[in-house]
Amino acid sequence: MKPKSLFFLMTFVTVVSLVLTACGPVATATPTSAPTDVPPTEVPSTETPAVTSTPAGPVTIVIGTTDKIASLDSADAYAVRDWEVLKNISEGLLKWKPGTAELMPALATAMPVISADGLTYTFTLRDGIKFGDGSDLTATIYAAQLNRLLTIGPGATCPNAVASSLATPYVKSIVAPDAKTIVFTLTSAIAYFPQILAGAPYVASDPKTFVADKCVLFPTAPIYGVGPWYIKQFTAGEQIVFAPNPYYTGDLKPQVDQIIVKDFADPQTMALAVQNGEIDVAWRLLGPELVSQLQKVSGLHVGSVAGGSIRYLVINHTMKPMDDPNVVKAVASAIDRNEISDTVFGGNVSPLYSQVPPGFIGASEAFDTMFASPNLDKAKEYLTASGYSATKHVKLELWYPPEHYGASTAAWMQVIEKQLEATGMIDVDLKPQEWSTYLPALVGGKSYAAGVLGWFFDYPDSSNYLDPFVYNGGQGTNITAKDASNINGKPINDDAAKLVDLLTKADSETDLTKRADLYKQAQEIYASLVVTLPLFYEAEHVTYKDNIQGSSLFAVPENLNIGPTLEFNYSTLTKK
Amino acid sequence: MSPLALIALFIGVPTILLMAYVFARGSAGLRRYILTRIGLTLPMIFILASLVFFVMRVLPGDPVSSALGPKGTPEEVQRIRGQLGLNDPLLVQYGRFLGGMFTLQFGDSLVGGHRPIVDEMSERFPATLELVIPASILALLTGVLGGALAASHRKDALDYGLRIYSVIIYSLPLFWFGLMLQLVFGVWLRWLPISGRIDPVLGTTLVHATNLYTLDSLLSANAPAFQSVILHLILPTVTLGLILSGVFVRLTRINVIETLQADYIVAARARGIREHVLLYGHALTNAMIPVITLIGLQVAILLAGAVLTETVFSWPGLGSYLVERISSRDYTAVQSVIAMFAMLVAFISLAVDVIYSLLDPRVRY
Repeated sequence: MKPKSLFFLMTFVTVVSLVLTACGPVATATPTSAPTDVPPTEVPSTETPAVTSTPAGPVTIVIGTTDKIASLDSADAYAVRDWEVLKNISEGLLKWKPGTAELMPALATAMPVISADGLTYTFTLRDGIKFGDGSDLTATIYAAQLNRLLTIGPGATCPNAVASSLATPYVKSIVAPDAKTIVFTLTSAIAYFPQILAGAPYVASDPKTFVADKCVLFPTAPIYGVGPWYIKQFTAGEQIVFAPNPYYTGDLKPQVDQIIVKDFADPQTMALAVQNGEIDVAWRLLGPELVSQLQKVSGLHVGSVAGGSIRYLVINHTMKPMDDPNVVKAVASAIDRNEISDTVFGGNVSPLYSQVPPGFIGASEAFDTMFASPNLDKAKEYLTASGYSATKHVKLELWYPPEHYGASTAAWMQVIEKQLEATGMIDVDLKPQEWSTYLPALVGGKSYAAGVLGWFFDYPDSSNYLDPFVYNGGQGTNITAKDASNINGKPINDDAAKLVDLLTKADSETDLTKRADLYKQAQEIYASLVVTLPLFYEAEHVTYKDNIQGSSLFAVPENLNIGPTLEFNYSTLTKK
Repeated sequence: MSPLALIALFIGVPTILLMAYVFARGSAGLRRYILTRIGLTLPMIFILASLVFFVMRVLPGDPVSSALGPKGTPEEVQRIRGQLGLNDPLLVQYGRFLGGMFTLQFGDSLVGGHRPIVDEMSERFPATLELVIPASILALLTGVLGGALAASHRKDALDYGLRIYSVIIYSLPLFWFGLMLQLVFGVWLRWLPISGRIDPVLGTTLVHATNLYTLDSLLSANAPAFQSVILHLILPTVTLGLILSGVFVRLTRINVIETLQADYIVAARARGIREHVLLYGHALTNAMIPVITLIGLQVAILLAGAVLTETVFSWPGLGSYLVERISSRDYTAVQSVIAMFAMLVAFISLAVDVIYSLLDPRVRY
């Protein structure tokens, strides 16, 4: 066969292939247009990157993120990005005032009426609440949708399992005695239940999309809630397009015509994209190194949001050598948090002296008061008391995941190694381990004596920073042991018993002053036991162009109204 | 459209038509050769897929623990492992995997939304295809023309320049080269976009018929979208294409030099045939035969390069999908993507072998 003939043959079959492909059906996660009763927002934005020519039209803000979507069903979703989407397309009975950790009514007319025993919360629904397609939300519909958390939430169709953490342990029943009233009955009195209620699992979901008998993780767009936006298009792995909900009656009305949240595989690319104007806002997850670079770029603002993301050492109190309280206290005394922050992160993380970060109820600096670290003399005293000396060293294996918390993890673990070895009595063996092996080994409480972990709150309350590390094995701390006769576990000593007692009381205390005091006491015992060893907390950073603004009606407009709850309300954004 | 359908259309259909043609017109030896190659291709895919299956399970780590994070209780982890069949004996899981491959249903993802793998690959594969096709064309054009030019200017500055280019470009780490292009053309000059497949705003106007955005924008006569898609293609295509071009420059150059010294070229030159006709009409055509063999071998490298390119440019294709899923130990996704890549490489190698036999009449089996 002559090459020319072959060329024509290949060209022919390729063209045929292309035509056949073009006639194929639409792929699954492709955009779907809005229904006819919703005002369309089809025309693109006036401002686009210099590199593309886009026709003028309604105002669009493009937000970049490296967070992934795992589920869009409120009965299942448990990832930060999932919650951000859900809280923008819908609302719950309560919500956080933008930029603050202050609760306010959303779909409810007022804060709840709480029964004297603290077990019943009663809400009255506002009038005229509608989904994005114009259908009404009644208390009956809302209660039925919330009950999905209790019925299908823990089941096989909801793999992200939010219900097992934030619904079934707390809520016994949800009923609607009439079209305006919703009543929650709890399993026990929990003072922080309103904070849990302000989370994404309790937003109103559309019964036409999110059916009663199974979780629907990725419904086809449009996806409606009762919030300021609805999802107009969802292209998996690429972008989500939000359009204003024309039936929204709340106080967070959208200020622009369209929000597009664009997915990035790599934070470095996202940082370059906000520099060259492809996106207007870069939000999560830019590491401290990229933030330092972006802070120097003219035309960009970098807002720092005091973060709830903490790093700490898990201490296994039943494994050698950490079963010796003196060794644990020596480690706590030798750590220099400022050195970690300055040498590895250029000051872009903050030292943490309690498991509860600053800003949360009752947060203290108990570790600083207790150990005033770095204090090598004190560390040596503790070690000497346990019979260690310059010739007889503690052998400590310190585990960490080299990639999960960023490339800098190895660097700051080496700083910790150096600090501990500066006592002259501790030999540290740094042990990297791949994340999916590391995590179950560490929190299982049977394999590692000490290792690094991070934590981010489910609901912004001190209880979420203390209870998990104390109750029922405490995420590998073993400060309590699992016990069938005690739902919070069996404490390993008297101090641990006191700690459990204080935390249990704080859990149900509704008086904020008394509750704060209980947490202060709890943190002192927590520090004396060194249940975990808090190291530092990271601020979250939002980077945005000059022409993007937050609302001056709410707190921290310089951070685009992203406050300590880390909720990003797209409705407060404007574009010049 | 499922990725398998896409493979069938883009690679399978041309390959089958080609083989049908060869079967009808070729010799008995050629027919036997093609049958043998097909017979070897299927076990190759099977062995590779089996290797991936067992290697993924030998590696430490559990997809469920990884996905649930510190907040997942051991009970929760066990419950979800049971639902996903990860507590079944390994041979049972292997049987299920082979059955899935046979029926072309790869099962559901083990992380995130637990969606069917076929759906996820369908969304991602067109993006990879849209990247590797122009990158291959660029690599071939640059490599073959560069090699021919170097050969025709042997031992002068152009030759040395092209040889240095081929060594440097082949040695550059792809991610670094991509990042440099992003910085220069995206951030400093602001000529080109650096991420994604289309401007986000124009993306809302695109009708997704095939998920091949160039085609979709053309079919819907959406000129701004087409322009944006082309602009977004430039940097990833140049990154991947140029990196691959180096080896083609060197191979083409040496083959053209050898061909230019052949007797029939000397005779043609003596007959007064012009030099560029000699070079492009005679020498280059004959020198292309080994280059075509190399194309088959380069497909695997091209796909590996696509994995890096897609990550650097946030290009939502199968490569970046593979990286995401390897890190979360999503067994089903990883083994499915690799099986898919293996099928691609096998089909293209087969097609190249057949083309080779057609181009070179001396080749007999």
